[in-house]
Amino acid sequence: MVRRGVFLIKTAELKVWARRVVVIALFLLAFFFILLNKVDSVAIKTANKAALEVSGPIMQVIEYPSRIIHRLYTYFYDISHIYIENRALRDENKQLMILQNKVRALEVENQLLTRLLNYVPPADASFISAKIIAESGDGFTHILLVYTGDEKVEKGQIVMGDESVIGRIDEVSGHYARVILVTDINSKIPVVVERTRARAILSGDNTIAPKLIFLRSSSDIQEGDVIVTSGVGGMFPAGLPIGFVNSVQNGEISVETIGDIARMEYVRIVDYGLSNSNEETPDFSENN
Amino acid sequence: MRDSFSEKMRLFLLNGIPLLSSLVLMFLFFMPLSSVQLNYFRPFVGLICVYYWTLKREDLFGFCSAFIIGFLTDVYSSSPLGVNILLMMGVIAATAWLAHYFQSSSFGVAWFIFALICLSYTLSKWILLMIYAGRFLPVWEAFLGCFSTIMFYPLITLINTKIQNRFLPQEYIDE
Repeated sequence: MVRRGVFLIKTAELKVWARRVVVIALFLLAFFFILLNKVDSVAIKTANKAALEVSGPIMQVIEYPSRIIHRLYTYFYDISHIYIENRALRDENKQLMILQNKVRALEVENQLLTRLLNYVPPADASFISAKIIAESGDGFTHILLVYTGDEKVEKGQIVMGDESVIGRIDEVSGHYARVILVTDINSKIPVVVERTRARAILSGDNTIAPKLIFLRSSSDIQEGDVIVTSGVGGMFPAGLPIGFVNSVQNGEISVETIGDIARMEYVRIVDYGLSNSNEETPDFSENN
Repeated sequence: MRDSFSEKMRLFLLNGIPLLSSLVLMFLFFMPLSSVQLNYFRPFVGLICVYYWTLKREDLFGFCSAFIIGFLTDVYSSSPLGVNILLMMGVIAATAWLAHYFQSSSFGVAWFIFALICLSYTLSKWILLMIYAGRFLPVWEAFLGCFSTIMFYPLITLINTKIQNRFLPQEYIDE
């Protein structure tokens, strides 16, 4: 009886010690993960991909009712604003008709000049639509999780909303991909100011308005200037709209992005044939 | 009868309820909000669940559960893997230690202690991510989520209490 009691005490002690060892091991593992992240380990990428692939379907199920609620809200919101929107669209249509005539003339001129210069145009881009199933925008990260299905998607491909660049593919698992938005702190995109052709880097800082950095101090920049991709670095093609200058204060230039994720259910993942999964995203952080 | 397979399965599932319900709640709060501004107010639901279950059922919610919640938070929020794991395990350790002093206190006290833990969590995450990124992160945007988490605490606690009363009642604790 006494021996049995001693045995039970020893087992209990062993359990306590085993628990302590597990806790220490888990803490060390967390530290190890952080260190591995810094060296961009394959193991970390595999763990990330596996977790996305496993939890992706759960997110899809959870996202569905929220999407229905959002659609209902949008429906009633649209009905209540239909008159004002209709007037705005009529005005816009008038302006677009004028622009259309100009574009036709320019197109003919462009064709003539292209023939004259023997210019070889770049290959056409292909795109797929991907459903947004989760967002994790907070003060620390601005990302989207999208369902890509069986379509082939690669790291670095451009993600566009209705009319402008909203981010790029950061991680791809089997059927899901993670998108880093242009407002995320890890987002750095080479851009030009459309009016002056001044080059800069559009740097996300986890606020809703990314900043223009590395812009020459002598550059003429005004509020409302359109910012487009410059194509420098080879990740993004040139000329894709991103946003416009929102404010210029004390040398800090804020950009308001055009892409409005408020009404987006799907995004377009565009393949211009520029991305390469083996190449890493250019890191400008050390220059800041 | 009690040793039968179905009984073991039942106990296994009941033991997993704190973790499972935490994961479901966490996933729910990763739903697309379709607004960049609203995103800043997204509460850290995983943190509330870790705190609640550590206080109420430490025997069913240990470091392994916190590790899983931290891991999934890292994956979904695209944070460097390990940051949220480390912080969640820190939270569980701090809560378990503090619980000895205030476990039988009122809801208000528990809420106040949570507010302190949430502030420490956000501050630590902010500092860790700044060290990791090697640059300054905006303060207000980072802490809006913290304030929203503190405000959401009663609601998530209410849900967790309902889950606990429904699936893990007193009789089950006494078994």
